[in-house]
Amino acid sequence: MKTPRLSPQTLRVLERFVEQPTAWRYGYELSRETGLKSGTLYPILMRLAKYSLLETKWVTTEDGVPPRHTYRLTASGVELVRSTFATQRAALKVRRAAFSGGRA
Amino acid sequence: MMGAEFPRRVAVLLLRFAIWIAPHDTLDWGHGMLSELNHVEGNWSALLWSLGGAGVLAKHAMLALILPGSDRRAVSSASELFDKEAPMRKATLATIAACVATSLLFFLTPVFRQAFRVSLAQWHDVFHVQLVLGYPDSDPELNSLAREAEKNHDAEAIAFVATNHPNKVEGSRLADVAVHLDPNLTWIYATSGAWYIPSADTDRISALQQWDPQNAVAYLIAAQKIGLTVTHTREFPTGRIDQSENWKEAMKAAFQSPKFDDYLDRQKQLNRRVLTRYHVDDPFQLISDTNWYGFPTYGVWYSSIYTKSLLEEGRVLESRGDLKAAFNEYWTVARFTQMMGFDRGIFMGNRLKETYESLARVSEMQGNKAEAAFYSSLGDRLDKNAERELALRRRSFRGTGLSHWNAFLFRLSGALMLACAALLAICVLGLLIRNRSFRFPSYRPGKGTLVVSFSAAVGLVLASVLMFLTYRPYPDLIQRFLRDGDEASLTDVSSFLRDAQVPLGSQAYSGTQTSVMHFWVAVRALCVLALLLAVILHLRTRPRAIAPA
Repeated sequence: MKTPRLSPQTLRVLERFVEQPTAWRYGYELSRETGLKSGTLYPILMRLAKYSLLETKWVTTEDGVPPRHTYRLTASGVELVRSTFATQRAALKVRRAAFSGGRA
Repeated sequence: MMGAEFPRRVAVLLLRFAIWIAPHDTLDWGHGMLSELNHVEGNWSALLWSLGGAGVLAKHAMLALILPGSDRRAVSSASELFDKEAPMRKATLATIAACVATSLLFFLTPVFRQAFRVSLAQWHDVFHVQLVLGYPDSDPELNSLAREAEKNHDAEAIAFVATNHPNKVEGSRLADVAVHLDPNLTWIYATSGAWYIPSADTDRISALQQWDPQNAVAYLIAAQKIGLTVTHTREFPTGRIDQSENWKEAMKAAFQSPKFDDYLDRQKQLNRRVLTRYHVDDPFQLISDTNWYGFPTYGVWYSSIYTKSLLEEGRVLESRGDLKAAFNEYWTVARFTQMMGFDRGIFMGNRLKETYESLARVSEMQGNKAEAAFYSSLGDRLDKNAERELALRRRSFRGTGLSHWNAFLFRLSGALMLACAALLAICVLGLLIRNRSFRFPSYRPGKGTLVVSFSAAVGLVLASVLMFLTYRPYPDLIQRFLRDGDEASLTDVSSFLRDAQVPLGSQAYSGTQTSVMHFWVAVRALCVLALLLAVILHLRTRPRAIAPA
């Protein structure tokens, strides 16, 4: 499966999703949590959606307020994120062990 | 006063516009950003949110323009998303019209008209106008000024045109007319270059010599007209200079003249009076000579050659023991070079040094130790004088950093104006070709055409404002010079105008700028290619009649 380039900003977004994989998230909420501006956040979301790692949905919240666009990781998205973070954790362990004389 | 909600309203408008230009596959995202705007806390934060989102959508719109076909809308199924399209189209058209009108309004001000004319100067060399058509032989503005001046029998104005006219034959005729009307203007023969043009009726150099017999200028001009013959032989591979008797006589008279006046001060005053009297609107006419004010270049080469022969004669006399005659030869050279201002060290520095050394040597031999020390000190001071003089001239020629920066912005605005006007013209032309009708209300420009026209119109206004602001100080400085003769203010104007003639992309003017020329030739070629491509695309995509089955 083709995957998008996982920049540090993309990883930061994915981290937020992976905390509650089944929850639908709003754009502004993600922006506040990750500290990314809309100009950075939306290209990442669009790229994830293009690779079918993210699904989108319009939801109505309350009367009179326009519907909001929400986002959630797809099953393949969750799978990719878990494997990516597992690899990263393993690499981190090796690095820590190397720097602490094998007492990781 | 601006309301607190204003940034949020701008944010909404901005995002709506971005959604309007965005390609089909990003519309959901655009509307997503717009709906989130309702939840962004703070009006300025909302504007920042909108700017970021609009940037993303604009980038996709640009990509869709460059790589069309991937995201074209097949059928507008979600019509509710585009309920803003009609008013947005009208608002865009109205904005384009307003921008073009604003830009045209600038042309009502004389300052802007002058600025626009000046801004075109940078393209003269780029488009090889001079190479293709030859140097201009006529200047309509000067011609009409000459006609008016001749009608009014205004000798000064005729003299002004004579000095500035690109056609030297016409210039010399006008110089004759001016001198005929007012013999006190005979000096115009020197500054206009009329002496160079042969005339059956008037011996202009003799007239100049008779009018100002004490001045070295007329004799230097006479020597320049007689000229020198340079013969290349095996013995003299770099050329042997043959001095005719006439030439020597003219140079001798110049070296013995009690004064040197290049008449440039008179010329400056005359220019000021005429420009004020006739409200001449071309700043280039004003600075045409000011760059070289103070440069007495008359016969520098000839003076150097004659000086060399005088110094050689002096050495011969010195070797024969005739110290008084030798001293006189050296003294003639020193006096003449001081009179010409060569002692400032820029021209003939080595010859002058040699002269002072010779004077010091002969004085020493005559027992005048104080005089010898004085001449030695003059010789030693030459290098410092030259350094100081060069630094002064460099400063006045280069101008200030502000004028360079202003000139850069000015040239940029000029180029931007032309580019935007060309884009707008292409859009209108495209619509005309597509609709084959002059009924503008019936036109339905596409989204791409509207976006390009809108950008070009906004660019046109911005460029006009920039051009106006960057040029605005200079007419005032010019007026100050014309009114009070304040030359200090003219240094900035000269520097600005010199830079304004430099093609965009090069730092300084130095004749033919090969790399810059190549760049602009490439731009021209690309424009032609783009035009061809547009025609081909138009022919390929135009609706065709379907043959009946």
